[in-house]
Amino acid sequence: MFLQELITFFQQLLNGLTLGSTYALIALGYTMVYGILEIINFAHGEIYMFGAFVGMFLLRSGKVPFPLAFLLAMGAAALLGVTIERIAYRPLRRSPRITALISAIGMSILLQNLAILLLGPQTSPFPKPFAVSVFKLAELPNYPHALTVQINTLQIFIMLISFALMLGLHFLVQKTKIGKAMRATAQDKETVSLMGINVNNVISITFAIGSALGAAAGILIGIYFNAVYPTMGVMPGLKGFVAAVMGGIGNIPGAMVGGLLLGLMEVFGAAYISSSLKDAIAFAVLIIILLLRPAGLLGKNVQEKV
Amino acid sequence: MKTKGLGLALILVLTAALLAGCSGGTQPAAEEIKIGTIGPLTGDYATYGENVRRGVEIAVEEINAAGGVDGKMLKLISEDTKGVADDAAKAATKLMEQDQVTAIIGAVLSGETNTAGPFANDAGVVMISPSSTATGIPDIGDYIFRNCLSDDIQGAQLAEYAVTELGAAKFAILYAKNDYGEALKKAVEGKATELASVVAVESYNDGEQDFNAVLTSIKAKQPDTLYIAGYYTEAAKIAQQAKDQGLNVQILGADGFFSNKLVELGGDAVEGAIFTASFYPDDPAEAVQTFVAAYQDKNSEAADMFAAQGYDAMMLVVEALKVGGTDRTAVRNALAEVKDFPGITGKTSFFANGDCDKEVLILKVENGKFVKIR
Repeated sequence: MFLQELITFFQQLLNGLTLGSTYALIALGYTMVYGILEIINFAHGEIYMFGAFVGMFLLRSGKVPFPLAFLLAMGAAALLGVTIERIAYRPLRRSPRITALISAIGMSILLQNLAILLLGPQTSPFPKPFAVSVFKLAELPNYPHALTVQINTLQIFIMLISFALMLGLHFLVQKTKIGKAMRATAQDKETVSLMGINVNNVISITFAIGSALGAAAGILIGIYFNAVYPTMGVMPGLKGFVAAVMGGIGNIPGAMVGGLLLGLMEVFGAAYISSSLKDAIAFAVLIIILLLRPAGLLGKNVQEKV
Repeated sequence: MKTKGLGLALILVLTAALLAGCSGGTQPAAEEIKIGTIGPLTGDYATYGENVRRGVEIAVEEINAAGGVDGKMLKLISEDTKGVADDAAKAATKLMEQDQVTAIIGAVLSGETNTAGPFANDAGVVMISPSSTATGIPDIGDYIFRNCLSDDIQGAQLAEYAVTELGAAKFAILYAKNDYGEALKKAVEGKATELASVVAVESYNDGEQDFNAVLTSIKAKQPDTLYIAGYYTEAAKIAQQAKDQGLNVQILGADGFFSNKLVELGGDAVEGAIFTASFYPDDPAEAVQTFVAAYQDKNSEAADMFAAQGYDAMMLVVEALKVGGTDRTAVRNALAEVKDFPGITGKTSFFANGDCDKEVLILKVENGKFVKIR
């Protein structure tokens, strides 16, 4: 009995980590933009959806190999992200923050409905880029459904790509010159422009990278659940935002931790409490975390300098 | 000065509103009878609503081509609920008050009909649902009917079939948290507990994508049969994820499975799934084949159960219109009297409460097509 429970627990752990990696990728987009501009890019969920659709159309054509389609979708989403920044946020940079927030929400609604109008509201399947095989990590035979801890190629793929992208981002932000510029801009925009850094460019690059990651998440989820539809960005967008806040908004490692944590909470909530309440459980935990640590798990309470 | 202008503006606005409201009371043109349909024409459940509408449309065209009902042409007005129950109530109200329809065919989803039904009943307008199968819907009132089999019957009959014909012994039930899923879950759980055993019952919300966690839990309980009480979008995902997890069980479902999208989204995973339905497109009966051909011609797509139910619902209403004309109450009474109507979804009669009396078909997914097994 105990062994059965243990095996199921580990399987759920894998389920949670897979889901969590995708949330982490989405959360990174939110956190990067917030770190630099102190606004929540509510349209990020739609960029994720856009990436998924571009990837689907490219793969459906049959003429584009998967790695190329993946990169192209990320690139297209990066362009979209930069465009959104230009149209919806840059003109409002001197305005009160709530204005930019409303603009973000408006952009989100616009993109969703544009997608419904142009692509139709129905769910489309996502062409599988490779055959899926299952690897059994542990097995308790002697059951009609052998109890296994198993992982399939999709899950491995999702976790690997997410991890690789996060590692790449960490390297970019910490070890490169542009990363330094991004960190400096996040700290103090005005001073940084005095230092000769083109703030507008840095912001555009931040949006581009965040959006590319969001698109990657969109494609991975599109493959994982075999579903692409115009409103697919709403819930994951919200959850990605929650994950970013949980980890400390503006904090990159925080977003990764938040994403993985959210995925695990959702899965364990579904498995051990109630499947239909899992979203409620995840958000309830968010509230508890914020009550105990208002800046998020890895966030620092930065005092406003006079 | 400012308050005077405001007062004047207020009076003008109120007068305009009053006049607009009054215009809703005109009688429909004597040469036509208006019929309304409500259902999801967009959204996750669009194939149900759209196909019902198309089925009704075929019926309307057929009747009008033959000269209408007592010389009066039928006019069809369709509203989109997007699958949201509140929108169904709004749509029904609009059809009844603004368009002055004589009868409404709808709604499609059980949740929609439960919400919109009371409005139609209070207004004294017949509402006949071609597909809302949840328990208790005809009990909403005298004006609410349906020509589809209730979930109690569907669920119980399939559970029984599974135990007696397929040797099912351990059921897992995964149901959607909506009127449809809850009704099916109750019926299946009851019957399965009585004849075999139920090892797992889990729920999910509409629009859910990740079922891995709940399927892993279900797998641990070692079922041999999985009854998915829900609609096609989620059912396809559940089947796919169950297969990916190595959970190889007999998948059962109800009429919610009847959609070509099930196979499109579920692929190999839904192969062999068995579900209850009320229509079989390859039935050799003439009325069925005429309908199938007409539908295929007009829509370049094969007719499904929802289209057939819509068609039959319209034809049933026409029977009532022949007797009652445009008098909403007379139409209701005439509809209640219908016995053994030869519909393409089977011989239909109504119980006293407006529920339908019909035989249930059992279909199976074979090579991506639906085949009748009982």
